[in-house]
Amino acid sequence: MTARGTPSRFLQSVLHNGVGRYVCQLKRISLIFSKKGQGSLGVRDFIEEGVVDFAKNNPGTVVYISPQSCRIPKIVAEYLNGNVKEETVTNKASQEIAELITKLSNQSGLDIIRIRKPFHTDSPSIQGQWHPFTNRPPRLCIVFIL
Amino acid sequence: MAACRALVSRAVLPLHYHHVCRGVMLTHIREKKRWMKAYTLIMERKRKMEGPPPPKPRSQQPNFDYHAEVEAFSARLQESFSLELLKTAFVNVCYLRSEEERRRALGLDLETTTLNLKDNGELCVHGQQFTKAFLSDWCRGSFPSLPQEGVAAIVGHLTGSEVMCHVARNLAVEDLTMSAEFPVPDEILQGTFFAVIGALEQSSGSVRAGLFIRDFLVTQLIVKDLFDMWKVVDPMGLLVKELTCKGIALPEPRLIRSAGASTVLPLYFVGLYSDRKLLAQGPGETVLAAEEEAARVALRKLYGFTENRRPWDYTAPHEQLQKPSAQALTSE
Repeated sequence: MTARGTPSRFLQSVLHNGVGRYVCQLKRISLIFSKKGQGSLGVRDFIEEGVVDFAKNNPGTVVYISPQSCRIPKIVAEYLNGNVKEETVTNKASQEIAELITKLSNQSGLDIIRIRKPFHTDSPSIQGQWHPFTNRPPRLCIVFIL
Repeated sequence: MAACRALVSRAVLPLHYHHVCRGVMLTHIREKKRWMKAYTLIMERKRKMEGPPPPKPRSQQPNFDYHAEVEAFSARLQESFSLELLKTAFVNVCYLRSEEERRRALGLDLETTTLNLKDNGELCVHGQQFTKAFLSDWCRGSFPSLPQEGVAAIVGHLTGSEVMCHVARNLAVEDLTMSAEFPVPDEILQGTFFAVIGALEQSSGSVRAGLFIRDFLVTQLIVKDLFDMWKVVDPMGLLVKELTCKGIALPEPRLIRSAGASTVLPLYFVGLYSDRKLLAQGPGETVLAAEEEAARVALRKLYGFTENRRPWDYTAPHEQLQKPSAQALTSE
């Protein structure tokens, strides 16, 4: 739709992450898959090969593996700011799932919507923001009637 | 099929007929179900009447392992907590009380089923003292000309329940807190966060705890203005006091600029001059408001809390922390 019809936000970070120390924003990732279904083949392969390495490389994220009888395998990612993101991974290859999980771990939990400006600053002006009276010579009794 | 159903009396139902409620009877057929629409509408009406379900704590939802979560909490913050202390920090008194009441209500024998958990009261007090001491020292170090009330106001704001609960919620402390009610009330969450800081100080020492407070609480000062946190009723009086202490001449207000005096949005700039040199100028809608704003701008310049000040350097780990707790605890 249009920019006004869809939600948007400004560029921001959760709790000024990165200013002090960097905290990985992904707190929990759950792999929900089926033990026998053919859509979960990629997830099962990923669990055999790559999930232990992922868990070792990201000690701040808890990885839950839950085999259930479900038709569509899902990855549920929970972030520190409370947002929960669900992705279906039916018929995805193990490599694609690995890339998806790396992408999820690099995201902050903020919504993926249009970002109004690709920049943000906390100190927009060093010498003071310009206003029409800056650099005007102050003569006695100078009065503007607008 | 219809004849079958007509013969059925209410008292005796064949095995595969099931009354859900008045107006909806389930029969097991493989075709399009005639009861589905009525059932769905009834459930929708029930859901609209009851409203949304009450929120459940994360520990009662599927996929939650407490020990793993606590370990991940400590790894995520790049701190090595002692896990015992950290688990104690999350246990609140209200939780212990409610658990004991529940066990008593269930009729369990008190001796065999006493909880072995200690509550976080001590850790909370310890953490609160350490945090306030560290933040006061930090404030005095980075804004040396700020008076005691200003320092107290900033520390009060940073250790107040709003900022602490905001930080705690975004660090997933609420998931791990054990408390009687859910959603966790602000005071209990604030107490738990203080207890976590206390646990960190006892496990890793005061330097690491100081770095933790710097990285998570001091960053909350980033876009804040001094007088948002410190309510000053008479900025001009305070400015006069400050200047007399320093021995500088008293400020004289002069109208510098004005525009639109007879319109609905007038603008006046008042400058404060001490000894014929400009201290600060400030805008306002009336001359009095402009004078007050000019006094506030002058105070901000004096205390070094302007918007364009040099930002705090978060990369240097040790040089800026100079024995935090010793000074503050002896002076207070």
